Amino acid sequence: MDWLNRLSIAAIVAITIITIGMVADREIMKRQQENSGVEAEQEKSSYALQMEMDKKLYQKVISYKEQGLYPEAMAELKKIMKKYPEKSLSYVYMAQLYLKQGNMGDSINNYRQAVEMEPDYVDDRTPLFIGDKIKKLVTEGRKKFGREKTLRPKDKEVRKTIDDIYYLQSRLAGGCE
Amino acid sequence: MKLLEMIDVSIVAGAVLGTAGVLLAYWGNPVNSGICVSCFMENIAGALRLHNDVRMSYIRPELAGFVLGSFLVATQTGRFQVKGGSSPVIHFLLGFFMIAGCAVFIGCPIKMILRLSAGDLTAVAATLGLIFGVWLGVKYIKGGFVLDRKRELPRINGFIIPLFAVLLLVLPVISPSFIRTGQKGPAAWHAPLYVSLLAGLAVGAFAQRSGLCITGGIRNFFLAREKTLLYGVITAFSVALVLNAFLGQFRWGMNAQPASHLSHGWTFLAMALVGLASILIDGCPFRQLIKAGEGDVDAAITTLGMLYGGALVYLWVIRSTSAGPTFEGKIMVLTGMLFTLVIAMTLRRER
Repeated sequence: MDWLNRLSIAAIVAITIITIGMVADREIMKRQQENSGVEAEQEKSSYALQMEMDKKLYQKVISYKEQGLYPEAMAELKKIMKKYPEKSLSYVYMAQLYLKQGNMGDSINNYRQAVEMEPDYVDDRTPLFIGDKIKKLVTEGRKKFGREKTLRPKDKEVRKTIDDIYYLQSRLAGGCE
Repeated sequence: MKLLEMIDVSIVAGAVLGTAGVLLAYWGNPVNSGICVSCFMENIAGALRLHNDVRMSYIRPELAGFVLGSFLVATQTGRFQVKGGSSPVIHFLLGFFMIAGCAVFIGCPIKMILRLSAGDLTAVAATLGLIFGVWLGVKYIKGGFVLDRKRELPRINGFIIPLFAVLLLVLPVISPSFIRTGQKGPAAWHAPLYVSLLAGLAVGAFAQRSGLCITGGIRNFFLAREKTLLYGVITAFSVALVLNAFLGQFRWGMNAQPASHLSHGWTFLAMALVGLASILIDGCPFRQLIKAGEGDVDAAITTLGMLYGGALVYLWVIRSTSAGPTFEGKIMVLTGMLFTLVIAMTLRRER
């Protein structure tokens, strides 16, 4: 073995030790932080903070909804949707309001838009999960719109709603998506 | 040993693949995704922070298992041969396009079989597309397509991907801060680590022994009516079908299947791309991992292309959801087809 190889091996050993030492040191610090529950708390508080902000933003909508003033609630919701188009929760409220007024098709369509924007709504490992409600709705919807499709096979609205139902059922079924 | 001589090893490999594919989903992997090379590549790319979707960020030990199972068997049986140097950029890009095609279908050829075996009829279009792609590839092979000859390379080249696989197994244990593990979405769905690893090692080992390859089985049949690998593929499907039925995971139908869509034309085209690309570089995404484990440096480069693809399908939204393929996904399938056809055409040689 010549001097260059000996030097290379020495350098490899030294660099390996230094790297492992640095990583180990970093990991010890990280573990200490984890043990103090900082990360888990951060995750929880991020959801909690979001929910708190949403509560304020949708205060009027919730109030109107509780009073049974659905058109007023929808008007308020449309204002929020215009100002904050990225808020998926608007579609959840819209879906609920349509359902309260007996409009199952538009309710399903709004749930679809909400799930497309925020998959956590159908993920039972997150606090946003509302999959049970959606599942119940699409199960009923599949029966209802299945019958309507038989009666009106060329109706575009019915076909679109059935498409939304299949989408939501596919998302609820899980899979790698 | 006598038993192994009696039963063709590719059938055993197919049975192991089908069993692992179904049981891994039963034990925690996403539905119908007990094994999916493209989904797992996307997961690993996310875990290494090559893309930003935390829902698709998890180091799947199965993929490392495939490589290491193949590596261990190859080194023990003297089949570890370090060769490469055949059009590396083409290998890299076709690896990328294979993953793009898989992302538009939502699954690799193995997942296609698993989805079919679970009653998902949307995978029929994918199967037809894959068969068409392979058939087209065989036409090019018969028409003179050939990549330049591989040559022997220094042995260190063959150890890089197996070492990377070892690193992938070590990372979840030491959990360094640059590794991200999603706690929701598909990332949160996984079988226990040791089960995934053992399944991966077993599948990798048998696949190395048998040469099992989904597209290879179809190719050999078209090329020379040779059915050994095809029997392995059919066995994988049959075993998965029986197990899915037995475990209550079989759900016949076209609609509302997990992680599927109804854009059958794009599914067909996407898997045709995967089939054609696989034939040009001699192996489906799964086979590329096995070959990378046995010292094939070109397959190693394809693997890196696949990992890059796993990242870009999320960064560039080249994929499908249950609503269907994105615009970017469609364009990438078309681009992939163009690229693959140009390569197939320009590398034809007169015989």
